[in-house]
Amino acid sequence: MDRNEIIEITKQKIKEKLNNADQKIINLSQIIEKIPNNINELYEQLRVITDQEYPTLDQALTIKEYVSFYLLENKSEENIKEINISDKNINEINKIKNSKISIDLNKDINNITLNLAKDILNLIETKERIDLEIEKLLQENYVNAYHIATPQILCKMLEIAGSFKRLSRFPASTIQLLGSEKNFFKALKFNKNTPKYGIIYNHPLVVSLPFKNKAKFSRTLAAKISIAIKADITNNEIYPELNEKIKIKHKELK
Amino acid sequence: MKMNKNLIIKEKLIFTKDINTNKNREWNPFHSKIAAGIRKGLIPNINQDSKILYLGAAEGYTVSFISDLIENGIVYGIDISPYSMQKLVLLSEDRKNIIPILEDCNLVNEYKAFIETKVDLIIQDIAQKNQIEILKKNANLFLKKKGEIILSLKLSAISQKNINIIDRELKDLETDFRIIKKVRLEPFEKKHVLVFAQKK
Repeated sequence: MDRNEIIEITKQKIKEKLNNADQKIINLSQIIEKIPNNINELYEQLRVITDQEYPTLDQALTIKEYVSFYLLENKSEENIKEINISDKNINEINKIKNSKISIDLNKDINNITLNLAKDILNLIETKERIDLEIEKLLQENYVNAYHIATPQILCKMLEIAGSFKRLSRFPASTIQLLGSEKNFFKALKFNKNTPKYGIIYNHPLVVSLPFKNKAKFSRTLAAKISIAIKADITNNEIYPELNEKIKIKHKELK
Repeated sequence: MKMNKNLIIKEKLIFTKDINTNKNREWNPFHSKIAAGIRKGLIPNINQDSKILYLGAAEGYTVSFISDLIENGIVYGIDISPYSMQKLVLLSEDRKNIIPILEDCNLVNEYKAFIETKVDLIIQDIAQKNQIEILKKNANLFLKKKGEIILSLKLSAISQKNINIIDRELKDLETDFRIIKKVRLEPFEKKHVLVFAQKK
């Protein structure tokens, strides 16, 4: 075969490999993993200065509310209501204003911190948009697994497996332990008890159970996730039935 | 063995003559295992017109120096990662003797059609558990009779527990190849052995 022909084929293959849904989901979930840490770090740095003006306000508001409140030019009550802050929290803000324990920052410092606050708000919005994009991609391609395993857990499983096709070849017992490989092989090496769950531990249904029943339920859940993934490969929609079975088991163990 | 005229070794530094600009480029032994091997006294038998199959080409640092050594030859660079292959394809636009192939080295039949004539030398730089099996598969299909191989064995990729497995691995290799020389790459690369052998 001619050299140029081979290079053309290689270029096409690169495009095919990079342009599949699995790769996009993995890339996006890798970005999203680090963003919350960055937000928290910047938020702490912002509060070093803004705490002088609004002390203890961070306990009442979420990060997004706090930052968008701080970014308001005119902090009148109507404007505050527009950014979806509840009445209870507005009372809290007024209490802090009237308590006379805070100082007014000068303009120069305020200009710097306003920029920092804008960055934080941008990061929060980016994270929300990526979340939406991941959910959209998962719903388009893997409906069953999306509804049963929740997007965050499915993303992490995809990251470990590399691709959805490879994930579909895993047995349920492997899916149950995905994420705890280090502990698992350590236990095998020293003849100790093997772990009972991996990433599945963070599933909302597992979290809500008493500690005693978590392992039992995560086994059921892993089995159902495994079935859901296999159904996605064959384009069947069976998640309502699977969900019902999971809920019955969840009721038993609660 | 006659040394390649484009390979220059001066005061413990290794240079190659660039095919495009004719200037000397320094070959860093800390980045490339073949260069580390040259520093340790294992000089590869590469002619001006030899054909080389490079398994595990990655982004093409070593491949670019090998393309300097073979002015009239060809080097086939094979790798599995699409991200590395993007850079290798860009490199192949500057250097006309590189052919990039995006495939898995395990699946020989997938790229059998691309390599028509047999090659003189196979260089393998992939850290896998079944490294020697992969090398044998490729050598059976693509290597000339009495052709040579350069194999970089990453010992920690084969077994984490037992590092003294060189003998066992080389015994496996000796069924098909005659080992000429082996060196450890110790100051440049940890737990690596470079093996130079010839097909029986």
